[in-house]
Amino acid sequence: MNREDPAVRSGLGSPTAGPLALVYEPVSGCAEGMVRIPAGGGHCLEGLSEFRVSRLLSAVLEVKPEIGWRLVLFGADVDALGPEKREALRARVAVLPSMGGLLSSLNAWENMVLPLGMHRPLELPRATRGIHDCLGELGVPARDLLEKLPESMTRYEKILTAYVRIVLEQPDLVLSENLHEGLDDQQRDVVARFPEVYEARCPGGTFAVLRAVAPGSRDS
Amino acid sequence: MIGVYREFEGCMRLAAYVLRRLGVLALPPVSEALTRQIYFTGASATTGMVLRGAFIGTLIIAYVIDVLDASAALAVKILIWVVLREIGPLIAAVLVIQRSGTAVATELALMQISGEVASLRRMRIDPRDYLVVPRVVGIALSTAALTFYVQVIAVGGGMLLSALSLETSLAELAGEFFQLVSPVDFIYSVIKSLMFGAAIALLCCYYGLHPPGTSINAVPKAAINAVTQSTLLVMLLNVIFAYLVFGQAFFGLVTAKL
Repeated sequence: MNREDPAVRSGLGSPTAGPLALVYEPVSGCAEGMVRIPAGGGHCLEGLSEFRVSRLLSAVLEVKPEIGWRLVLFGADVDALGPEKREALRARVAVLPSMGGLLSSLNAWENMVLPLGMHRPLELPRATRGIHDCLGELGVPARDLLEKLPESMTRYEKILTAYVRIVLEQPDLVLSENLHEGLDDQQRDVVARFPEVYEARCPGGTFAVLRAVAPGSRDS
Repeated sequence: MIGVYREFEGCMRLAAYVLRRLGVLALPPVSEALTRQIYFTGASATTGMVLRGAFIGTLIIAYVIDVLDASAALAVKILIWVVLREIGPLIAAVLVIQRSGTAVATELALMQISGEVASLRRMRIDPRDYLVVPRVVGIALSTAALTFYVQVIAVGGGMLLSALSLETSLAELAGEFFQLVSPVDFIYSVIKSLMFGAAIALLCCYYGLHPPGTSINAVPKAAINAVTQSTLLVMLLNVIFAYLVFGQAFFGLVTAKL
């Protein structure tokens, strides 16, 4: 792991010098807050402040870097692209928030299939099998989860639901916030298998976990 | 003044967006949301509507007969003019504002404040596609259906009361009614109620998606804004319709002749 370059810490394999899925860096060339995520495999990014993580996620979600920064997604500098190409790039990226980001009026199953139903409705008939397969690979019983509304879910179940939702969409890059906090050991084991299950279902995809450093904890 | 203009502009933009994006109703999650909205607004409100309709119909007939000392024919005419054309759509609109308007504004404001609208954007779903389009279409259709319930119940109840209190039979009153009523009356009330419903839903969605703040206090404020503004808009639309119909004979289709 290299503390100066947070992006080069890899969770599943060693970083490669190959193509990069994401580059977010200051235009000035300063290394502070710079992020580089190699394409393919699972990666864990440590050492970024909460502020930088939030800025990175905003930039990726809006496909628009903050002033003085450069965002390169799958080799394309987004500043050089028009709105349609930016939207196409955005469709290849998903963010897994630490609280799940579910809609409270929909149960787990409805939350899982919502983006697929909106973006690729023809693939909906295959979603049920995909959900069961994905949960099966994680070793989680589906029947306990699918009928639940978010108000009766634990944080772990919300994360699971959001994860399955993302896997169904099969994006090329998943940026995940730190998910481990507040989970017990068994739940952490399941969450730790997220990149592996994602890779099995989306070969060539990149799963990056962003572990933010809370303010003040760097000193300790 | 600038704030009022911005709200007006925002609502008009939202209306234009909904008209442009009606095609999203074919998407399964949106059509499910539409079904839920029609059920909530149009089906589950029926009982209260039936009662209100029956009360209003009998009240109008009782007043006409007792206070004006009118004949059965005049009572039926008044039923058609007042209930079919005016009271039906208006009562349905008021009930929709009370019940669905507040629910929509509150739900959307809560979703906005709790970050669920942002979650939709994160999933690359335009909140207007998933939240506004099915609500506007669902509420417009439901308001038309509720108007029909009110008309049937109020006219039916009114004629039944007339038959009981006047020396005329129900068959005679019904004959008089079918002779006087024209399909244009129904078409007019359907158009009016569709517009009422769409206007209510648009305003409630707009105020729900733009709560005045990010604290929980903004939720009731959004609901209050939605209810007061949509009530005002319904009254304004009603005035415009009445002027068109009674003042300039609505494209020559509906005329008021006493």
